[in-house]
Amino acid sequence: MKAKIDKKFEVEQDIQTVWKFISDPHKVVTCVPGAQITEQIDDRNYVGTVSLQVGPVKTSYKGEVTIARLEDDKYEMEIIGKGTDTKGKGNAGMVLIGTLSKNDRGLTEVINSMEVSVSGKLAQFGSRMIVDVTDQVFGQFIDNVKNQLKAIEEAQKASGEGQAFVPPPAQEAKPLKALPLLFSIILGYIMRLFGRKPKS
Amino acid sequence: MTCKTSKEIGGVGHSLKRKEDARFLKGRGNYVDDIKLPGMLYMDIVRSPYAYAKILSINAEEALKLPGVLAVITGKDLAQYNLHWMPTLMSDTQMVLPTDTVMYQAQEVAAVIATDRYIAADAIELVEVEYEVMDPVINPFKSLDPDAPVLRADKEGKTDNHIFHWEVGDRDGTDEIFKNADITVKEQIYIPRIHVASIETCGCVASYDKVKQHMTIYLTTQAPHAIRTVVALVAGHVGLSEERIRVVSPDIGGGFGGKVPVYPGYVIAVAASFLIGKPVKWIEDRSENLQADSFARDYHMTCELAATKDGKIQALRIKTLADHGYTDAAANPSKFPAGMFSICTGSYDMKTAFTELDAVYTNKPPGGVAYRCSFRVTEAAHAIERMVDRLALEMKIDPAELRFKNFIKKEDFPYQSALGWEYDSGDYEAALKLAMEKIGYDELRKEQAEKRAKGELMGIGISSFTEIVGAGPSKDFDILGIKMFDSCEIRVHPTGKAIARFGTKSQGQGHETTYAQIIAEELGIPADHIAIEEGDTDTAPYGLGTYASRSTPTAGAAATKAARKLRDKAKKIAAYLLEVSEEDLEWEPGKFFVKGAPEKAKTIQEIVFAAYTNHPQGMEAGFEATHYYDPPNLTFPFGSYICVVDIDRGTGEVKIRRFVAVDDCGTIINPMIVEGQIHGGLTQGLAPALYEELIYDEEGNILNGTFMDYLVPTAVETPHWETDKTCTPSPHHPIGAKGVGESATVGAPPAIANAVVDALSHLGVTHIDIPISAAKVWQILHEKGVAE
Repeated sequence: MKAKIDKKFEVEQDIQTVWKFISDPHKVVTCVPGAQITEQIDDRNYVGTVSLQVGPVKTSYKGEVTIARLEDDKYEMEIIGKGTDTKGKGNAGMVLIGTLSKNDRGLTEVINSMEVSVSGKLAQFGSRMIVDVTDQVFGQFIDNVKNQLKAIEEAQKASGEGQAFVPPPAQEAKPLKALPLLFSIILGYIMRLFGRKPKS
Repeated sequence: MTCKTSKEIGGVGHSLKRKEDARFLKGRGNYVDDIKLPGMLYMDIVRSPYAYAKILSINAEEALKLPGVLAVITGKDLAQYNLHWMPTLMSDTQMVLPTDTVMYQAQEVAAVIATDRYIAADAIELVEVEYEVMDPVINPFKSLDPDAPVLRADKEGKTDNHIFHWEVGDRDGTDEIFKNADITVKEQIYIPRIHVASIETCGCVASYDKVKQHMTIYLTTQAPHAIRTVVALVAGHVGLSEERIRVVSPDIGGGFGGKVPVYPGYVIAVAASFLIGKPVKWIEDRSENLQADSFARDYHMTCELAATKDGKIQALRIKTLADHGYTDAAANPSKFPAGMFSICTGSYDMKTAFTELDAVYTNKPPGGVAYRCSFRVTEAAHAIERMVDRLALEMKIDPAELRFKNFIKKEDFPYQSALGWEYDSGDYEAALKLAMEKIGYDELRKEQAEKRAKGELMGIGISSFTEIVGAGPSKDFDILGIKMFDSCEIRVHPTGKAIARFGTKSQGQGHETTYAQIIAEELGIPADHIAIEEGDTDTAPYGLGTYASRSTPTAGAAATKAARKLRDKAKKIAAYLLEVSEEDLEWEPGKFFVKGAPEKAKTIQEIVFAAYTNHPQGMEAGFEATHYYDPPNLTFPFGSYICVVDIDRGTGEVKIRRFVAVDDCGTIINPMIVEGQIHGGLTQGLAPALYEELIYDEEGNILNGTFMDYLVPTAVETPHWETDKTCTPSPHHPIGAKGVGESATVGAPPAIANAVVDALSHLGVTHIDIPISAAKVWQILHEKGVAE
């Protein structure tokens, strides 16, 4: 089953800084909850893992991440991920398209569209939650990106303009448990019932 | 109706309270999961997450390390005994456990045997299976594409996914009529894949005694005898011959056709017990039941009617595509691959009809069971009842009027249908008239016109269905070669109390009460004193089980015939005791008396006592009889249902305001039980009409494999049912009974669908596929610009 979600957010950092961050798989993957890069095959292909628990179904996907498109001039990129659960419980895929632009308020606007496809146990037992789970995971990803960018900015400020950039320590990959997300999923559902868009 | 017997005897026509209810209501039923045997082991099943994949490896190492796990069984293990494949009822083949390929999501992949149910459940999580996923065939319309993968490559020479073609009727004659007809109508109608979802899931306890070389199988089955024979045929080569197998079907919590097939889990448990020599219990959980056990329906039907300009139906043409999943595991009599679908001319007199069907394989669970219907009768009734309404809409005449114009007339029975059936009896006009009176049809039409003028949406739907049940006469009907007779054996004890055993098996129908009433009617022994036993192959006479509303038409008739044999014997004994000739005796329920001298009488109890204590010389002692009844024809129950709906223009929700059901099942054995059957059946008819459908995505993932998403109606959704009856006995059944267990499930969906379409017909809506969800209606309301 497939879930497609589009999200837009803006950050204060300039477009070059954001692009540099977001087009680096090592950095951007650490922002995906539960994800980790374990091996680099070449500059476009990586091997990684994503762990996710929805209710009683624990899955740990192992697979490849490919940068399918990286257009510096347009600030546009496409990442394709494909993985299979290590215990044979199913597989999952993801296509993430990201575009950066400078908006009229001088901020960098990030437009992301994410399509997640899930087969196997997660789809079998959690299909009604896939869209909400994806939405929440995506929301956490954006928060992580924002925080990391902020950390970069602060690090740069602290070490003075023009100094070499020191990346912040990468976040440790923990399996994402969707159960704690349940509250926000239910809240989102209730808000939609009353015709309000939940905050992402 | 008047009863021939007193209330004390409680024969046919009395609303006796159900004998079985005391134990069900007090929690004292004995279901398969209640059975606990010393040393019993537990089985759980590893299932495929994919709809279509190659199995590269199965690693059971971690699972076997878990304390309490005794074995992990795979297809390769079963292959050593040639038990990895089994035949289906339709002579196709089905995997018990796969050796290399899985064909649908939730298919059995391996089984874990453990000392505890929970250890088994934990262990299946530890079995690691490596798959190579392949692109599945999910859409049946794409199944026959030349580039579609051949799913059943295991079958030698198979080059496509076509299973069978079936046709009945006059193709050329029908085409000719359609070419020249004044009016023709056509609709694409889908009757969705649904599930019986009985309250008890499937399961078994297989117990093999290595010393006695005897296998006892406690099983959730509607047909214990047939199962025993199948086990003997499949496993005879490993030493399980038929006298060494006992199948016991204890209390069953709902079958509805879903407990007719042999599921792989049963076979694995039997094999495991045979190999280990200990009892093995396997009970499915709810999701396994919903995701892997046999589905029902799933017919894509292109339906057409041709009529004259004054509304006389001339011909019917239906072309169907049937999605059977990866194997043809439908449960039909052997000669009827599409069941009784050819009842699709329904209650209407037409001289010409043609129907054809192609069945295909897809990567979905197998099945095609007769969910509370006599083999595809629900599909047929839905097609014809929707199409009659469609024709009425086209001709702008009232659907009731069109029905009256085309009904087979009361005096035309027995009626020979265009597709080859001989309808036994019927009075369709009377049933529809009664339903219209009861609901106030003419006033409702006036109200509808007024509401429509105000923009409100209200609809009235009729369904005047005919069933075909009671399979069946041995010249045409068999399952795996075994003829579809059924049986009854009555044994009356010296004190005049009796036990009767049958080849059928109640799953909640109330056989313990109704069979006793039939015997009470014939012998005058109070029904309270007649014990009924079914389901144990060691004691019950052979029979093909309970489904397709066949118990009353077959085993019920056998009970009458066996009881009449005993009454004949009773007459001989009475003549001997009263010292008169048999011709001088007259019967009234409970006793024989001398004509003209009613004080000279012998009660049935006195007669039975004499059969053991003072029987005439030369006569066999005792008081027992058996009858195997081979019905001369099927029976044709019918009814007329009318449904009134209001549609919420804001939410699209369909609210059933009233539902009147007039049924005619011939002679009624127990009016209260019949009414209960109708209530349950109507609710199971409401289910697919508005809520139920098994939905798969293009990868073959089931998207509603739990009761969170598969919407079984509860008391909250169920409207108040108003029931009534007419009575047109079957001329060939010994007591005129026709069977009623399934009428309402068959008749209700088109009544509801017709009502919804009727509410929207002025907007140009001609058909909506069931289930008619609020979302579907909401979308139509928006398209038509009438949403609030």
